[in-house]
Amino acid sequence: MTENHKDLLCRVFAEVLEQMAFMFADAVEADEPPSPPASPLLAHMTFRGAMAGKLSLAVTAEMCPEIAANLLGTEPEDAADPKIARDALKELLNVTCGHVLTALAGDKPVFDLTVPLVEELSEDAWTAMATAADTAALLVDDRPVLLSIEFAE
Amino acid sequence: MALNILVVDDSETVRAIILKTLKMSGIALNAPLEASNGSEALALLKEQWVDLVLTDINMPEMGGVELIERMKDDEILKAIPVVVVSTEGSATRIEELKAKGVKAYIRKPFTPEQIREVVDEVLGVNNDGES
Repeated sequence: MTENHKDLLCRVFAEVLEQMAFMFADAVEADEPPSPPASPLLAHMTFRGAMAGKLSLAVTAEMCPEIAANLLGTEPEDAADPKIARDALKELLNVTCGHVLTALAGDKPVFDLTVPLVEELSEDAWTAMATAADTAALLVDDRPVLLSIEFAE
Repeated sequence: MALNILVVDDSETVRAIILKTLKMSGIALNAPLEASNGSEALALLKEQWVDLVLTDINMPEMGGVELIERMKDDEILKAIPVVVVSTEGSATRIEELKAKGVKAYIRKPFTPEQIREVVDEVLGVNNDGES
């Protein structure tokens, strides 16, 4: 992935996060990969069309109720149900994916998107993702977020 | 007059987000109507009249495109306007959906003002309600 792709991921994610959840993201310098947070979660989905691949988003689990609360207009304690919190993370990834594909391919191609999935991420898996060349790293209120896009051969 | 708007999405959380945004827009709504896929939506539509369907595209069991096609093939249901709410931004896809009879397309994320504008335009009315 080129640096431009990483910049694009950071820009699109920051815009979507601000519009959907009223939260602000800042890109992290490439030589400072963020350390694994407590209980990281990985959301991922695939796309197929003019190009094919996978978009992945890793966050700390404690961020998800806050994202859900902001999406739903409730307090974080009212969105603490893990299902609601994970659904909010899926929706954030889903909307980000749509806008990333438009930014990459324009508004003509049609893409088929899979339903986003969420799973727990080990510390080793977080570190591997954080140090990969194709991963964009951001901070949201000092909490680390990783975003990567892989293209199928 | 309060509206019956059916929200179709496989995620309960996303349905709640859309309903919250509808309420914030000031549109007067009757009790929320929800379905988690096209099949559930069709079953509900055969039981209760709705003024407008807001549907996602990618859903398990029966997606939004099949729902739209099935409604168009039904003598009664084809009169109900359908608006697609989705993350996709393909102009080609939007044209395909409009060719199938979709009245409008709302791309996520959207504001209460945007959804209000689309609902008013599609229904040709101004539905003021309590926010």
